[in-house]
Amino acid sequence: MAVLEAHSITKTFQEGRQAVPVLHGIELTLGVGEIVTLEGPSGSGKTTLLSILGCILTPTSGRVMIEGVAVGDNASAMAGVRKKSIGFVFQQFNLFPSLTARENVEYSLNIKGLKGYEARHEAERVLDDVGLGDRKDFLPRDLSGGQKQRVAVARALAGRSPLILADEPTANLDSHTGAQVLDIFRNLAKKENRALLIVTHDTKVREISDRVLRISDGVLMD
Amino acid sequence: MAVDLARKILFHDKLRFVITVSGVAFAVTLVLVQLGLFVGLLDSATITIRKLDSDIWITSKNTPNVDFANDFPESLVNRVRSVPGVQRADNLLVTFMQITLPSGAREGLMVYAMDDFARWKFPWNILSGDVADLRRGKYFLLDESAAGRFGKFGVGDYREILGQRLKIIGLTREARSFTTTPIAFMDYQLAQSLAYQMFSGRTAYIVAKLDPGADTTAALAEIRRRLPFNDVYTRDEWAAASRNYWIDSTGIGLNMYMTVFLGCLVGVVVVAQTLYTMTMEHIREFGTVKAIGGTNLDIYMILAKQAVISAVCGFSLGAAQSYAMKPLMEKVDLKLIMPPEAVAWCFAGTLFLCLASAMISFRKVAKIDPALVFRT
Repeated sequence: MAVLEAHSITKTFQEGRQAVPVLHGIELTLGVGEIVTLEGPSGSGKTTLLSILGCILTPTSGRVMIEGVAVGDNASAMAGVRKKSIGFVFQQFNLFPSLTARENVEYSLNIKGLKGYEARHEAERVLDDVGLGDRKDFLPRDLSGGQKQRVAVARALAGRSPLILADEPTANLDSHTGAQVLDIFRNLAKKENRALLIVTHDTKVREISDRVLRISDGVLMD
Repeated sequence: MAVDLARKILFHDKLRFVITVSGVAFAVTLVLVQLGLFVGLLDSATITIRKLDSDIWITSKNTPNVDFANDFPESLVNRVRSVPGVQRADNLLVTFMQITLPSGAREGLMVYAMDDFARWKFPWNILSGDVADLRRGKYFLLDESAAGRFGKFGVGDYREILGQRLKIIGLTREARSFTTTPIAFMDYQLAQSLAYQMFSGRTAYIVAKLDPGADTTAALAEIRRRLPFNDVYTRDEWAAASRNYWIDSTGIGLNMYMTVFLGCLVGVVVVAQTLYTMTMEHIREFGTVKAIGGTNLDIYMILAKQAVISAVCGFSLGAAQSYAMKPLMEKVDLKLIMPPEAVAWCFAGTLFLCLASAMISFRKVAKIDPALVFRT
């Protein structure tokens, strides 16, 4: 079964009186355990598409289905889908500076409804999986860029969301660290059968992907 | 237990937290001290009414408060004594007199005079001396608070009141009028002789004690019938009238409300500004909360919890500061009374205003676009 389906997605932004079309009839399917890379130049619509697939932005037309269920277009329905089915990894890591690595992961689990010992245990499990078992109680300011991104990966993987969306996960890392993070990412996604869509400029990401998609001027190409 | 993001964010920037708590504490101190002084002044305004063991006060018509008494014939006391249900009634003289100090300076003194203080359990806090001795000569009891205005004095000293030398034969405590004028206690006949032009054959009040179980309403009605040119009050009514005079007829009530309002305003501005700035600084984090599935409500709860923590810490510090000021106020002869219910209301108000301040940030939070997490 497809984890993610996007049908006839279009998005038009209104800039003053002018309508600016950004996405044109996007069709996309992501299967269980599949790793797909989405490449494209700046301004091609990558982040807009990622926002729509991540149920953060509503499309102008078309529909998104997560695990066979169409996503509603109201804020609370979209938040519900994000909570239940999607994990995010961001270019800027977006960790909470006042929380330790473990608490960062645990808090996202709390949002997903998992609390107490279970959340703590799950947070520690994924941090161990990304190789940060000895850095669990470190604040983000005390972690390197690669370690921060690994915490972000752990946060996305925690709670067993079937779909992981990553926005330029290696952009702020040196090539060696980026390769390490991608390696961890691939292994865990495959091991746990997560569907993974990575938006990137980094051609090295192709190496871990099952499929590479390109987007140009809002049109998606295989 | 869930991760407490609200507390973690609040305590992460300790300096900002200290500023917030200090702001709330300052506002709470301002409100509590002003309220305490106000209650203290009103307490002084009615302390003699509350402490004198009487059920009924009879005044001349339209007497505004206990300190500003007018005179009326003292023989009216006999009409009161014969009212069914009245156990006893006596004349009470309350008037300002001038006291000459050893330096030659003259000061004001509030004099309370009765025939038999003891049976009215008045004055209520005698440090030394015996009220029964007041009848024996030109003697008086003086409140210890007078030392601040009149200079040091002791039992056995003489002072000149309205041109006559009187001996201090005892000391009292807590007997001070609303205007902080010290109170002296002397024999009724002596006071009349000192202020004979005004009080010869006349009194300022009649106080009455009812029999146990007597019908107060009926007794009041009968006294009013017999003394149609006087006002008749229960003790509580007269205390309220005296208190309300100062609140309504002087600027003190408005002054108190203005200070309380300003205190609240300072608190709201400090907390609202801090929480708003904090929200703006953490906007990306709140965007992340939304991106990972959190709702506006989750973020409102974070802000509300931060407001509650600020309120509780600020109130505790403010209340502690206010209580610490009590002895300092007493040194300058000011009473700081903070009734528990007023402190409880102040706490509730602090909590409410801090939460209201947090709501200013709610609008901003509602508009946070979770897509900002993708921006660099």
